[in-house]
Amino acid sequence: METISNLWLGLETALTFWNLTYCMTGVLLGTAIGVLPGLGPTATIAMLLPVTFGLPPVSALIMLAGIYYGAQYGGSTTAILVNLPGESSSVVTALDGYQMARQGKAGKALATAAIGSFFAGTVATVLLAVFAPPLADLALQFGPAEYFSLMVLGLVASVVLAHGSLLHAFGMIILGLILGLIGTDVNSGTTRYTFGFPQIADGINFVVVAMGVFGLGEIIGNLENEATRTAVLKSVTGLMPTREDLKRIAAPILRGTILGSMLGILPGGGAMLASFAAYTLEKKVSRTPEQFGKGAIEGVAGPESANNAGAQTSFIPMLTLGIPSNPVMALMIGAMIMQGIQPGPSVMTEQPVLFWGLIVSMWIGNLFLLVLNLPLIGLWVRMISVPYHFLYPAILVFCAIGVFSLNNATFDVYLMAIFGFLGYIFRKLDCEPAPMLLGFILGPMMEEHLRRAMLISKGDTMVFLGRPISATMLILAFILLATVLAPAVRQKREEAFQEEG
Amino acid sequence: MKSLKLLSAAVLGIAISAPAFAAGYPEKPVTVVVPFPAGGASDTTARVTTQKMQESLGQPIVVENKPGANGSLGAGQVAKAKADGYTLIVGSIGVYAINPVLYKSLPYDPTKDFDLLTVAVRTPNVLVANPNFPANNVKELVEHLKKNPEKVTFASSGAGSSDHLTAALFWQKTGTTGVHVPYKGGAPAITDLIGGHADVSFQNLGAVSNHIKAGKLKLLAVTAEKRNPTFSDAPTMKEAGVEGVEVYSWQAVAAPKGLPADVKSKLEQSLISALNSPDVKGKFNDIGFEVVANTSGQFSDFLNQEISRWKTVVETGKITADQ
Repeated sequence: METISNLWLGLETALTFWNLTYCMTGVLLGTAIGVLPGLGPTATIAMLLPVTFGLPPVSALIMLAGIYYGAQYGGSTTAILVNLPGESSSVVTALDGYQMARQGKAGKALATAAIGSFFAGTVATVLLAVFAPPLADLALQFGPAEYFSLMVLGLVASVVLAHGSLLHAFGMIILGLILGLIGTDVNSGTTRYTFGFPQIADGINFVVVAMGVFGLGEIIGNLENEATRTAVLKSVTGLMPTREDLKRIAAPILRGTILGSMLGILPGGGAMLASFAAYTLEKKVSRTPEQFGKGAIEGVAGPESANNAGAQTSFIPMLTLGIPSNPVMALMIGAMIMQGIQPGPSVMTEQPVLFWGLIVSMWIGNLFLLVLNLPLIGLWVRMISVPYHFLYPAILVFCAIGVFSLNNATFDVYLMAIFGFLGYIFRKLDCEPAPMLLGFILGPMMEEHLRRAMLISKGDTMVFLGRPISATMLILAFILLATVLAPAVRQKREEAFQEEG
Repeated sequence: MKSLKLLSAAVLGIAISAPAFAAGYPEKPVTVVVPFPAGGASDTTARVTTQKMQESLGQPIVVENKPGANGSLGAGQVAKAKADGYTLIVGSIGVYAINPVLYKSLPYDPTKDFDLLTVAVRTPNVLVANPNFPANNVKELVEHLKKNPEKVTFASSGAGSSDHLTAALFWQKTGTTGVHVPYKGGAPAITDLIGGHADVSFQNLGAVSNHIKAGKLKLLAVTAEKRNPTFSDAPTMKEAGVEGVEVYSWQAVAAPKGLPADVKSKLEQSLISALNSPDVKGKFNDIGFEVVANTSGQFSDFLNQEISRWKTVVETGKITADQ
């Protein structure tokens, strides 16, 4: 009963004219920066932070939140259309989404992403409203040992991302891990592999790597090969998903939502894993796993739902505990502090209008996004029919602006260029960049949590098996690894037998 | 078309030459570099203060976040900037007092490369523990540490952070030892403290006050000179029997060395009056920051004291973090 009266309070707050306006402004702005490659919500929110001083706290947070999930939405548009994932979460969307676009099914991919995100957003909002406090307590159960095991599971799962050679995938993951080593060691404060460049003392930014390897690499590849890029324009069939498509995506959306909601709650980088995990799950349960990476609609539906659900539930630790789960949440906490609100467990009781108003506004914002994006799909799809010699300079410029805006540093732009060249080489060698990116994201986190767990346990490795959550995840990782390796090993043996015979 | 170009060239020419005729600083927007990401303590200090300063200076002030290498990347850039009053820095205790004693090669020297303007705000650190931790006060903690050497985990916001060095100082002053567990920033450290994965930590009061009120963290002592009015039950370190562990986290404003005298005095005036204005003070108080707003001379003396104190701590504790 209390929940309903709370939601009513939230509805009253969120539906005032000004709050609706700020919500809409936020999601519009978010979609726009999400669509522009490289410009992310972190930079935008940082730039807009001073503007929000003059607003009432609720309106300010409603707008900032709108930018955040609006950008998640917009980010998938660029990932699908031009293979440019601006956020770690849209890396996997690019895998099958871009393939769908190349087959002329960009509209379908975009619609799937929109519908999946809306559904996930709705479920996650309800979760947030009903279960926020107990879920936050669950997140606290996750210590260094649990996070380490979660990362191990994630890393093992990333092998499944590859649809080509397993050896290439392993190689790329390891390359990603090595790149992730660059920067300051958390335990000792010593810098590693920076070669005297203080600009990379904090490590290489994910966006720099993703923009370079995916975006620039793709551009160079396309410029070289006239045939591949004209293929995109040939036939654009069916903007909207058919009834049959809807049937195909229903289950992946549901699974993605559940997975994303759960992982989003974990402040130590769980949300990052959401879309990767959903992709892995879909590929595992699919009867046609060979379709993945070649334009499987499930490969868009699952991760997109997971990514949006995770984005919403990552508000749970922020709102209930005052714990930021990602840089955007850290900025939101900064915004609250500047408004004179001390984030923490008391926000819910002391600022019910803010808490519930924000939650309800998220659902309204998701509705806005759906209404906004479905009609826009036709327009987006036409965007890729813009002649490539007009499109690629624009993409390049936006990539450069976006990467510059991360740290206001030109160094990052040069670094992106280097990764662009690497990305081109990877294409030539048939090495997929997605496993590398996952290794790059997970490696440093895994190391950090491993060493912290070891510090706390005084070097006792049994902590990983002695703690139930951690042990469960390690077992899952082991099973997953076995199922990945078993067919490969069996095949090898069969080949060997055949040769002998 | 051609005349339009000519016209715009002429307008541009006037615009460029205009400042030569105008008198007085500032004639154009002022940039304040924050060598940390947006949303942190330095960033908040800079934004709240500069918003007020814009009124008295009559020019917009742009806050630019240039994070990297514990703030030394941004600080190094400011040290090399032109000393014309159009580039300022708002940095933390780490930027001014800890980096110089911790790192052998730093792209700046806070005592030589900067015109120190004022210490804007400070916030006391507090010693907090997970509610289930056996010790309930400093005395019990010291006994516990002595009985269990190298056992109790001290979470910090990073190797070489002010809370890391505060813990080291505490060990040195009480003759105890503990395990230092660094995190990437204060927030994850506090999370693990609440979750019971780490035992105790020195944190900024503002960052943990709500958790203390909610009973998710146990407050053992404040590292201030006086008790805090909000948590008047908690003793100071001195009252708890530990001398010499008065530690504040502070945020200060500086400019590249060699500001023209009139620019410097105008900046100082504008800073002090902005910091002392009731609405700015109120905003800082709400988040647990205390306005200091001292003179440049006081800042300079204070900085020398801080540097020598942390130098001793680093040398005694053999703390290294080589770049």
